Amino acid sequence: MSMIFRRALASVSTKSVEPKVVDVLIVGGGPAGLTLSAALKNSRITRDLNIQLVEGFKLDGVKSFYEETPELLTNRVSSLTPQSVEFLQRIGAWKFIRQERVQPYDGMVVTEGLSDARLSFDHPEIATMCENVNLQSSLYQRIKELESQTAEGEAFGLDIKDDTKVTSITKDESNDWPIVHLSNGESIKTRLLVGADGFNSPVRKFSGIESRGWFYNRFGTVATVKLEYAPFVSCAWQRFLPTGPIALLPMPDDNATMVWSTTPELSELLTKVEPELFVSLANAAFLLNNVDMEYYYQCLRKDETEGLVDDIQWRIDHMTQKFTEEELDEKFPVKIISVQDKSRARFPLRLSHADTYVADRIALVGDAAHTTHPLAGQGLNMGQGDVQALVNALEQGITRGLDIGNLLVLEPFWADRYPENNLLLGVVDKLHKLYACTSEPIVALRSFGLNAVNQLTLLKDFMIGHVSGK
Amino acid sequence: MIITRPIRVGCSGIARLVSAKRLHSHLTSSSSDELSHFNELAKTWWDVSGPQRILHKMNLLRMDFIQEMLRSYVPIPPETDIYVPGYSLDLLPSEISQQIVHEQETYRDEQLKQANLRALDIGCGGGILTESLARLNYIKSVVGVDLSPGVLEAASFHKLLDPITERKITYELKPVDQVQEKYDVVTMMEMLEHVDYPAEVLIQALDKVEVGGWLFLSTINRDLISYFTTILVAEHLIGIVPKGTHSFDKYINSKELVDWIGKRPGFEVVSVRGCMYVPFKGWVFCGDGTTGNYLAAVRRLS
Ligand SMILES: Cc1cc2nc3c(=O)[nH]c(=O)nc-3n(C[C@H](O)[C@H](O)[C@H](O)COP(=O)(O)OP(=O)(O)OC[C@H]3O[C@@H](n4cnc5c(N)ncnc54)[C@H](O)[C@@H]3O)c2cc1C
Repeated sequence: MSMIFRRALASVSTKSVEPKVVDVLIVGGGPAGLTLSAALKNSRITRDLNIQLVEGFKLDGVKSFYEETPELLTNRVSSLTPQSVEFLQRIGAWKFIRQERVQPYDGMVVTEGLSDARLSFDHPEIATMCENVNLQSSLYQRIKELESQTAEGEAFGLDIKDDTKVTSITKDESNDWPIVHLSNGESIKTRLLVGADGFNSPVRKFSGIESRGWFYNRFGTVATVKLEYAPFVSCAWQRFLPTGPIALLPMPDDNATMVWSTTPELSELLTKVEPELFVSLANAAFLLNNVDMEYYYQCLRKDETEGLVDDIQWRIDHMTQKFTEEELDEKFPVKIISVQDKSRARFPLRLSHADTYVADRIALVGDAAHTTHPLAGQGLNMGQGDVQALVNALEQGITRGLDIGNLLVLEPFWADRYPENNLLLGVVDKLHKLYACTSEPIVALRSFGLNAVNQLTLLKDFMIGHVSGK
Repeated sequence: MIITRPIRVGCSGIARLVSAKRLHSHLTSSSSDELSHFNELAKTWWDVSGPQRILHKMNLLRMDFIQEMLRSYVPIPPETDIYVPGYSLDLLPSEISQQIVHEQETYRDEQLKQANLRALDIGCGGGILTESLARLNYIKSVVGVDLSPGVLEAASFHKLLDPITERKITYELKPVDQVQEKYDVVTMMEMLEHVDYPAEVLIQALDKVEVGGWLFLSTINRDLISYFTTILVAEHLIGIVPKGTHSFDKYINSKELVDWIGKRPGFEVVSVRGCMYVPFKGWVFCGDGTTGNYLAAVRRLS
């Protein structure tokens, strides 16, 4: 054999303690990372891959959720499109969803704070509301099920390390494979490194992939709430206020979850005010006009909240007098009566999109690749789409005998997802900007838009298509 | 390695196939000016975004073809409950037919995995196809042979970068007639159009196939489309392939090939498929292989 060959052999064999080697290392045990793990182990073609998942936080809540399901709802809830649900069914995870805690909805009413314009959709199962932890738990259970089906004497080939952070990433000198260094002192070398590690993605940073975008200067305040009674039809409500949209999304029975997007200052006040006042303000946000709301924000800022609950109630009563019971039911969501203790939290809202999702031996999925405003409920669903496309690409790569870390394998994944995600990010961004605007001509134009949309069935179906991902 | 250049026999295609003579054992592979040419290519062989991108992309199609052939020849035993005659599969509800196809494919996976096939890649070059074959979980080992020390060095170096290829591949600098053993899968891609005596090379390649095994080969039809795409466009106009890579009179029509192999007892041409390069898309299958580039699958029955 040739000289080069012998030299290379020598340099490989004299290496000291080699790190553990895997085929795929997934950083992040969020929705994207767990979905990818379950999907890869479910596929006939990729199941032989040796996979390591690393998650910085403890996954205790995810692991115990299915058997020791907590009584109260958790506050991170996402709307899953029919496609996401179908994918979860296909990979065998959906049957482990605690069905009593998810709520499909088939109506959506969009209104705005500066005019009476409204847009309403009726469409069977536009989407399904599901707690993130319920989703993660179903995936975890599916992984356990697959593990239990492994043939005797065969290794399952998926290990989940939680409570372990990735502290740094380097490259192997001999073959350029990434080596991931963990907080427990271990190092793992991998053929393919997948960043499912959320917005701050250490994997993206390591790979030098730029992510562009901006902070919306808005936070989403989430909360789990109780309604006066269980709504007759389950419907999602969203009202665009100049500070950002407020959404009330149905959960089973008289439960609902809200996302109130607003300025950093207000979101902080809203997470802190007395529960009773928070409930009043949330109801007001769906009913009262913007001038009233501005006044209440002012009171919050000055901490002059004495008697505010009564004042709000008085104005709401005054406003609702004009309507019959039936009209009220049709025009406004069921009244919120309480907010679950400790369920309020806030998250910064950003738009970001990585320049690419792939580099040599690197792939990014989910929030690591893109984040969006929650107004269209797309963030998590985009990640599900990414995972599907990545699994397809890896299946094809394996069938063709390629190295799955090779760009030739990864490029189709990114080509498949980038344009679609980019379009969605753009549409959502435009919607946010359109509604953040208070200038009169634009308000007039957009309320004309909303009303006109409501009339035009075709256009409406198109809009539904976007929200439900159809 | 001494390679003496033979006197050119002034004929092409089928005439070239039948008139080839065994002048010297080394003559059965590439001619010398072509060898030096491939040495040049070796350095950049493995950069998938580099000059060999087209070849890397072509490899995808070759692998699809090989997989399809090998998988379709794993019989589903009629006595099992996953056996459904092809035509009735279409009549079943899609969910059920999908499930059956899935189970059939799983069955094929298991059967193939037990087969532990041995492969020989003739004219392996930098090892693009060799490595792909090695990564298939049902292939136990691959021997890659080539006559160019330069590209073999590149190939030998590259296989060390991945534990799978390091374990499964052996590269040998030798002409095909010096390969002693027989193999379940023999591949010979884009080779016939570069040799002076293709019939000799083909005889040698077929001889290396185990009974029940396969020879996969690809080459180019001698027609205007080939001239246009491989020589005029690829070499001269857009320069994705260096000038001098091809010479038109060495191209062999697929029909000549099929007829020739059909006359050899014990061999069956299972499939011939055309393929072409579409800019921005890559290589795609097209037609019955009578024009342009084509792939062929030959099975040894006895
Ligand atoms: C207020 C709000 C409402 C939303 N509503 C919806 C909705 O209705 N519908 C929808 O589709 N989407 C919604 N989203 C978006 C959705 O929550 C996210 O898109 C989704 O959680 C992203 O999942 P992911 O797995 O990509 O990332 P994440 O959930 O962020 O998971 C990343 C994981 O990586 C781990 N990690 C990070 N760094 C390291 C490290 N160094 N070492 C180890 N582990 C690490 C983290 O601990 C984390 O668990 C909403 C978002 C917000 C903020």
